[in-house]
Amino acid sequence: MNMRNGKIGIIDLSTGVSSEEDFVGDVLTAGVLRALLAKHGPDSIVLGTGLLTGSLIPASCAGTLTAGQKTMPLLGHAGIELKLSGFDFLVLKGKAPNWGYVWTRDGIVELVELRESPQLNSWQRTDKIRADQGDSKIQVVSGGPWCDAGSPAAQLVVDHWGGEDKVGMGAEFGKRNLAAVAFRGMGELEIADPEAHFEGSVALMKGHLSRLGPNKGLQSYYEGAGREDFVSLVHRYIGCYGCPFPCRTYLKTEEDPKEMRFMHKEPGYLHYDVPALEMATQVGLSSRDATRVLTRCAQAGAEPVAVLTAAAVGGGRPDVASIESLLSRRADVKPVNKGNFESSLPSLKDYETCLGLGLCPRYWAKVGFDIRSLSSCAESAIGHTLQ
Amino acid sequence: MHRDSVLTPMTSSIILHIEDKANYFGLVLKTKSEGLLLGRPEGASSGQQASGSGGPGAKPILLREACDLCDGRPKCASICPTQCITAVD
Repeated sequence: MNMRNGKIGIIDLSTGVSSEEDFVGDVLTAGVLRALLAKHGPDSIVLGTGLLTGSLIPASCAGTLTAGQKTMPLLGHAGIELKLSGFDFLVLKGKAPNWGYVWTRDGIVELVELRESPQLNSWQRTDKIRADQGDSKIQVVSGGPWCDAGSPAAQLVVDHWGGEDKVGMGAEFGKRNLAAVAFRGMGELEIADPEAHFEGSVALMKGHLSRLGPNKGLQSYYEGAGREDFVSLVHRYIGCYGCPFPCRTYLKTEEDPKEMRFMHKEPGYLHYDVPALEMATQVGLSSRDATRVLTRCAQAGAEPVAVLTAAAVGGGRPDVASIESLLSRRADVKPVNKGNFESSLPSLKDYETCLGLGLCPRYWAKVGFDIRSLSSCAESAIGHTLQ
Repeated sequence: MHRDSVLTPMTSSIILHIEDKANYFGLVLKTKSEGLLLGRPEGASSGQQASGSGGPGAKPILLREACDLCDGRPKCASICPTQCITAVD
């Protein structure tokens, strides 16, 4: 089956027993997620990859994480790494008896105990998992203390950074004693017509780039990232897998941003959470302080729009210290329903279709998401029509 | 891709060399004639010193096949969005 592994990994967190099922339909992801939840129980968590995740089509980086009615995208390198681990979908059932993380690589899925998890923030968990498994490129979707506590204003972070989880998925991890999900793989994906797919993808990308002009990282998608105090801290732009027009800008706040190497242990933060930056500006934070606040929120596993909204209650002007103090008072923070990638496309259907295809909604909204424009390129990969 | 008709991060002969702590980003190309070529901001060098690898699912470049220039039309140069990679005679 082209662009698919043909496998669904399943792990029962309550027993640690894993199994796999064949996946035979290379249909769009949304229907598969619903079917898997119906089959394995509505309390399951399903991680998915899109039909074209890992193809050469621009920004074909997306995966998904679904629990109940909630879905968040998995961007960066997480979506493709999940696919390369050998599974198209992962189903996590039940609740672990002790804190642990799901470790998936090369067709194997297992539950690894991490009893010290409650003492670790999300960054420490990510670093520990990578160190324990001996690979710095492991993709880690991690919770933090707010997730452990089941706060509805919690957020998961993907490889340290926040911006994908605007639906309270962090609490779903906490309810299951799940500290993180990690994946790594060296798989390969068959394609129907490699040459046609390559040529079509290059043509598609070049057409996009000729219209978009020079890339300025997040500033190309969000004007607020053009503020002078933001630009002065820019270290570099970072693209997700296959993205020719990145929206991720890394700011250095703790050392010279013009210095390429990292010397400080936590030199800065990777920005792509537009509503969080908008809210930070609204409450009067400088770009430097906004970066520090988003770092603290990511480490805590706290959704920053909710935190900043709570910090501004009463009309005062919050600062980093007062927000850090607020992070120890979870009960004072209520969730705020403000999407990040969810608001890229005007219709929810297009957003879900985009994710089902494994495409980044932000990039494809920028270039104009029209399934007809990519159908021939997609069909050269999968070997049949998209519809 | 062209060797096996599959998409995999394991067979490319050119990879990113991202080494934050060493203060550079670069590219490593495995060639047939000169072994590993390392392109860094300070210039190109050759030898076996660069065994790092980048990207999802990547494996060390020493284990990969040497570049055959894709029969004269290097795909890495075609698909590079920033024209960071170019092919010259």
